[in-house]
Amino acid sequence: MSKKLSQVLEESGLSLGLQACGSAPEKITERESAGRPFPRAARLRDLYYNCYSSASNEFPYWYTRKYAEHPGEIPVVRRAMALREAFSHLTPVIYPGELIVMGKANYYRGSFPMPWLSEGYYMAKEDELYKAALERGSASADEVSKFGSGGGNVTKNFGNVISIAGKFGIRQEEVPALLKVAREWVGKSVDDLGHKYEQMVPGYDIKEEIMKSVVCMFDSGYTLPQGREVINYYYPLQYGFQGLMDMAAGKKAEVAGNAGGDGVSGMNRLYNYEAVILVLEGIKAWILNYAREARRLEKMEADPVQKKEYKEIAECLEWIAVNPPRTFREAIQICWTMHVAVVNEDAISGMSPGRLGQVLFPYFEQDIEAGRTTEDEVIELLECQRVKFTCLDCFASMGVVGGVLSGNTFNNLSLGGLTKDGEPACNRLEELILEAGANCVTTQPTLSLLYDDKLPESFLLKAAQCVKTGTGYPAFINNRNAIEFLLKHYGDEGMTLEEARAIAIGGCLETSPCSWLPLDLNGKRYWVPGGSGQPTSVGVHFISLPKVLELTLFDGVDQRTKTRVFPAHGRKLETYEELFAQVKEYFAKAVEVLALTNNIQHDIWRKNNMAVFNSMLKPDCLDKGHLINEMGYRYNATHNVESCGTINLVNSLAALKKIVYDEKTASLSEIREALLANFGFKTAAEVGSYSMEDQEKKEGGDEFDRIHFQCLTAPKYGNDEPFADAILKEWEDWFCAMCYGYESLNAKPYYACQISVSTHAPMGAATIATPDGRLAGTTFADASMSAYPGTDRNGTYALFASATCWDHSKSQNSQLNLKIHPSAIKGMSGTKKLLELSRAYMRKGGFHIQYNVVDSRVLKEAQKVPEKYRDLLVRVAGFTQYWVEIGKPIQDEVIARTEYEGV
Amino acid sequence: MKHLDCRNYAPVDVVKGICHLTKDAVLGDEEQCDKFEKVPKCKFCENYMPGGKEHLGSCGAEPSKPMTYPDLVGVTCGQFSWKKG
Repeated sequence: MSKKLSQVLEESGLSLGLQACGSAPEKITERESAGRPFPRAARLRDLYYNCYSSASNEFPYWYTRKYAEHPGEIPVVRRAMALREAFSHLTPVIYPGELIVMGKANYYRGSFPMPWLSEGYYMAKEDELYKAALERGSASADEVSKFGSGGGNVTKNFGNVISIAGKFGIRQEEVPALLKVAREWVGKSVDDLGHKYEQMVPGYDIKEEIMKSVVCMFDSGYTLPQGREVINYYYPLQYGFQGLMDMAAGKKAEVAGNAGGDGVSGMNRLYNYEAVILVLEGIKAWILNYAREARRLEKMEADPVQKKEYKEIAECLEWIAVNPPRTFREAIQICWTMHVAVVNEDAISGMSPGRLGQVLFPYFEQDIEAGRTTEDEVIELLECQRVKFTCLDCFASMGVVGGVLSGNTFNNLSLGGLTKDGEPACNRLEELILEAGANCVTTQPTLSLLYDDKLPESFLLKAAQCVKTGTGYPAFINNRNAIEFLLKHYGDEGMTLEEARAIAIGGCLETSPCSWLPLDLNGKRYWVPGGSGQPTSVGVHFISLPKVLELTLFDGVDQRTKTRVFPAHGRKLETYEELFAQVKEYFAKAVEVLALTNNIQHDIWRKNNMAVFNSMLKPDCLDKGHLINEMGYRYNATHNVESCGTINLVNSLAALKKIVYDEKTASLSEIREALLANFGFKTAAEVGSYSMEDQEKKEGGDEFDRIHFQCLTAPKYGNDEPFADAILKEWEDWFCAMCYGYESLNAKPYYACQISVSTHAPMGAATIATPDGRLAGTTFADASMSAYPGTDRNGTYALFASATCWDHSKSQNSQLNLKIHPSAIKGMSGTKKLLELSRAYMRKGGFHIQYNVVDSRVLKEAQKVPEKYRDLLVRVAGFTQYWVEIGKPIQDEVIARTEYEGV
Repeated sequence: MKHLDCRNYAPVDVVKGICHLTKDAVLGDEEQCDKFEKVPKCKFCENYMPGGKEHLGSCGAEPSKPMTYPDLVGVTCGQFSWKKG
């Protein structure tokens, strides 16, 4: 029988050390539990647990039908007409017990493809899908019932349901029409047109190879072109939809035929305002369709309580379709409506509600004061809102949704921070949001605490208490770091300290520019924060740093596919400096070609597929008359370069420096040979596990033991040891600066973004063994500041010292995930310890830290019997996800993370 | 007729829904009950013209006769008109 790595190490007197600072108690320890959700929220959440991710053809059908009718129209108006048609034709569905209504599609967890962005990933299987659609039709209750548990992903066909894009189920009777609609977009979608023009970029062949060899994970402009940003709910709250339509009509009259001193795009303002009106008409019709449905249900309902609830829903919708909200209930509903409208307008992940507790506070404060509502009613609404957010799905390709997002949609709600005057911004409603998050545990919205030393201790402890329940949220974000980054990066666009204080997190972890706007409610003025920047995490997506090192070591040739990716460098790599310089050179080459090609994709997107509704919500589009495509947003320098596998690169460089260049105990050729032989081990795919501890030795694979031992015992990041930390610092200083050498399509500089999301799994799978001792196909270290599992042996404070050896405010973000055993932070003293731990990291200059409070044995058990763990949540990267809905490589990685038994 | 052709059926996902009358979960593909009430769909519309291929047809309410399909819900369609007979 093959030996596992853990056994091999044990025999050598080493261990993977997956537990640190003590040992886990003998008995499995549960997380501390919070309260329970309100029965209504619990029922609605149960409905979610038992429902499939379902795709509908309604929106794409009506959009395409209208778009086809107006081939000669101005592009923005043509798009707006299509959007109006699609919104106004969505079938309204209201479920019994709902208080907050409206959804993406006519299913509880519904979504739909947008072939105008990309159709290729499912049209490639057109014949297969069409055939399956015609052959199905033998549904039986037995066949269906076996899918009752294990998450909502539809990964294979069953009954009258066809699996599409690996995750979504669609009714077979909709498939032929779906394919016919998609065919309309062949050669016209952003994907197809972008591909046509990106081939004109010199070096495009390198880009092709970069994508095939998974040096880069996916393109930007046609996958999820918007998101990782903070929505702005302000304008409809202040003016109402009718008020905005009237405003746009007035502006239209002002600008018609008037260039306004801008000979290039000044005339476009007329078409843009016209587009805004058209889309708002669609949104209004969509809301009123739901109102009519509520009235219909009210009429037929026998139960007096439910009847009254339908009536209240109808009244709420009839009011907000036209007017600004008056109450908390109306405000939370209109915010939700806006949110769904934005994520229906485009394929989006990471549309964050931002500091929603501060946006809604005026309504909360006045309703409570007037006795119109109670805190219990507010919590119930917040819990219902959590379920609605969790039901949001994003339809994209399997690589994007599975490989990157792990099915998550990253609606991040920020708490705390400072007011524009520098005072603590937290409030009572935010405490209730934490309470709702702890009681009604769901994946969305995830929470981020904008940690500032000024925030009251009681508020911070409440946040720490929520983390302990195992939700994974809130993450702690360094408010001061974020403000520094915003001032540095957006200073040229007019960012001030006051404005920087409006910061919120977009997507899982993207520091996003926001602004304060004056909200008037019953004669009282409140300054509310909201997003004012373009999408972030757009531009150059995840570049695999260990893969770049592999290509450096093998002269530009991918050792998995044996194809050439970069031109041969021809260097002998005789010094460590030469090696590191070549890594940087290849990385820079990748960034160069990816920036150019993705600029083209985004340009095609903005020419034909521009955001109208999302633009209208953001300052200063309505004032200027320019939408996102004409840089109407206040902040436009939002394109970035993303990295993955930082710590594996750092540890590998440390190993090479020590073994090959300093101590010369092995040559580079010997290292190459060992890497190609995977140090004598089978590959992760052969073993069926992506975790290091499960890897198995090949029969007779002892030849590389000595060299593997040296690689594994070389200095590692995360132990407060200067050898490895100096490499990290050199990399960060160079990386954060080099991004500024590239220009986005908005003629603004790029910046560094350092989150892995889920890419460390597929990227690890595509990378051979690395000089840090990691074996082929296993996942990389998660995030950007997390230690590689089992290698951080000196405790959390040593890890913090390593992580903060560089200035985090040079980057949009950094990310540190820590797994803590529940027994290490038990009780009130444990809560205080957790807060002190987080505070220590923030004070050292760390940007972000988040926790998985879990006993790893629970995760192992859940992997064996997933059907018993439908509601088990884990923190993956910048997001929390249901265990059963994430892929095995990431499950293995989360299990393998170092578990701290004491803090 | 199936539950998913019923006006009282609130689709939860591609398999099941909730009956607004009973509040029970029902499978969309199961046969209708005696409270069945047809939901507007293209296949029940006067303007629907079946096509040569299964699950595809066209809408006769528009001069251009755009493509449509029998199971498209017509609750929000201004041109929906119940098929006679």
